[in-house]
Amino acid sequence: MTPRFSDNLRNPSGKTSSMTDRTAPKDLAGGLAVLAIAILYYLFIGDIAESSLADDVGAGGLPRILAFVLAGFGVVLVARAIIEGALARAPKPIVATAPSRDDDPIAPLPRALGFLGFGAAYVVLVPIIGYLPAIALLIGAIALFEGAAANWKTALIAAGGAVGYWAIFVKLLGVRQPSGWFF
Amino acid sequence: MMHSLGIAFDLLFGSPIILFSIAGLIWGIIGGSLPGISASITMALLLPFTYGMAPVQAIVMLACTYIGAEYGGSIPAILIRTPGTNSAAATVIDGYEMKKQGRAGEALGISLWSGVIGSLFGLVMLVALTEPLSWVALAFKPTSYFALGILGLSVIASMTNGSLLKGLAAAVVGLMISTIGTDPISGVTRFTFGSPELLGGVEPVLIMIGIFAVSELMMQSGSRDIGGLREQVKVRLPSLNMMNRLKRSQFIGCLLGTFEGLTPGGGGSIAAFLSYNEARRWSKEPEKFGKGSEEGVAAPETANNTVASTALIPLLSFGIPSSNSTAVLLGGLLIHGLLPGPRLFEQNADVVVGLYLGSFIATLAQIVVGILLLPVCVWLVNRPRAYLAGFILALILSGIYTLNTSLADLGIALGMGLVGYLMRRAGYPFLPLILGVVLGHMVESSYRRSLLLSGGDHSIFLEDPIAVGLLLASAVFVTLSLVREFRDARNAKLKDAHA
Repeated sequence: MTPRFSDNLRNPSGKTSSMTDRTAPKDLAGGLAVLAIAILYYLFIGDIAESSLADDVGAGGLPRILAFVLAGFGVVLVARAIIEGALARAPKPIVATAPSRDDDPIAPLPRALGFLGFGAAYVVLVPIIGYLPAIALLIGAIALFEGAAANWKTALIAAGGAVGYWAIFVKLLGVRQPSGWFF
Repeated sequence: MMHSLGIAFDLLFGSPIILFSIAGLIWGIIGGSLPGISASITMALLLPFTYGMAPVQAIVMLACTYIGAEYGGSIPAILIRTPGTNSAAATVIDGYEMKKQGRAGEALGISLWSGVIGSLFGLVMLVALTEPLSWVALAFKPTSYFALGILGLSVIASMTNGSLLKGLAAAVVGLMISTIGTDPISGVTRFTFGSPELLGGVEPVLIMIGIFAVSELMMQSGSRDIGGLREQVKVRLPSLNMMNRLKRSQFIGCLLGTFEGLTPGGGGSIAAFLSYNEARRWSKEPEKFGKGSEEGVAAPETANNTVASTALIPLLSFGIPSSNSTAVLLGGLLIHGLLPGPRLFEQNADVVVGLYLGSFIATLAQIVVGILLLPVCVWLVNRPRAYLAGFILALILSGIYTLNTSLADLGIALGMGLVGYLMRRAGYPFLPLILGVVLGHMVESSYRRSLLLSGGDHSIFLEDPIAVGLLLASAVFVTLSLVREFRDARNAKLKDAHA
């Protein structure tokens, strides 16, 4: 049966319980992460200095409340994931639902981290080699990572893009960009 | 009234407002037409460039980008069955059918025309409702502002996709991020780890760019090219006869777009799908829906363009953004030190009038600019994703550096990109987090000012009827959301049992 669009509105994630079974470990990891954030945040509240100008609540007052509230959410999320995992039955085929953003393909973690790594490498390299070469390297490296052929065309596009950005930011807008050994 | 007209006249002839509204419109159409680059991402990418602008120019450009992106999103929806923005998803159904029938130009023309109708209607509602509503905020005390912040966060957390608990957890994390930096009352530093870059706190713009744009690029890494459109397409605006036939579906789009724009968490995509369903229900030719119905394109496109204007009403009146795009616009307002509410209309009337005027200019210009830009959009849609991804990341990193010429800002934005990616994977909505960051200062300062007034007695929140009303409304939203979640889970289990 073709799903109605109103179904998609009421259940925007398009999830069915069989999908919920499959997502229980993900929910457990998410809940644990929430709990970890709450604990870490709480530990750092101790570093907040006392001030003679402080009000009744103090600089650490609201953070303390937030840490407890988040920890509470984390505990419930973890408990819910454990209960859902325990109640999970044998996996069933996923029922077709109307398309939603949640069903879009999501790049696996190593690939996504790889992509992010190029951004991080840019941050490290740009003060050393300068804006123009760093941007060219960034565009070229990402193009190769995303499947472009390693040829002159890719190199030219990367170099052209870098010159274009340099012209827009530095020359046209007059915005200073990091300079390094070369530029 | 005469004062506002005078400001409008000055802006029109004494400032480059037309230029900024057209520039925003062009940027919006181009950004919106790129699959995966939503209106909010297009606006977030523009944010760093607005720092150096006058407030009125920055806000006009951001608002016009929003208008342009709503039309831009329909271009790939109609041509390649891939909505450029979430709110164009409903346009795919009949838009792509029309394209298959060789009527792509007609579908684009209907989308453009309906967008203009929706935007104009939304603008009328925006002008008529915003200022009167904002005067309500004059009765607000610190306790009311605290309750308003809590209402905004709980409504967004309960209305966004996914579980309520995840939404609330995301909102709390957002509030936590907002506590980084110098405490506004005592002046002591919090969570800065000795880093001078964090003394002023984490700028919301970095969070928005990281979570909206960087995480989207990470999500799309390795995905296939979408292009492949080979034929030439020209926009064909509807004839007078067709305009007459589309009136009913456009009226439905206007009404539902207004309602959803005013509703926190509503947004363009829900308005578009609701309008599509209602237009089919009230149509004289419901059997044509799903098979290339002109009304099936007109209704959702009118609705999502209406939302682009009406979503500004709660934002400008109370400072509560109802969608990702309005959250970015709020970021733009805060960057320029503009606080929504009645004082915005008094102290920064030029910004408000400029926003109305710029949006009006962009709406009218949309017809011409939309037609002229179509070849550019089609060319961009056909570019290999491998190159586009690198160019967009380069734009993000170059743009962020212009904010404070600080490499630490790049690190924060990339880090938030990772957070956004992990949140998406784990099914956590990120709008509550953004809202937590944006509203965090208001929530904390109102909370502490209230307790300063009461000498630490929390019962002060129960002595303010507005605060009590808003907190009760928060509780109702959260309870209703919990009930809906339990009901959905039970229905899903029953469905599985029958399968």
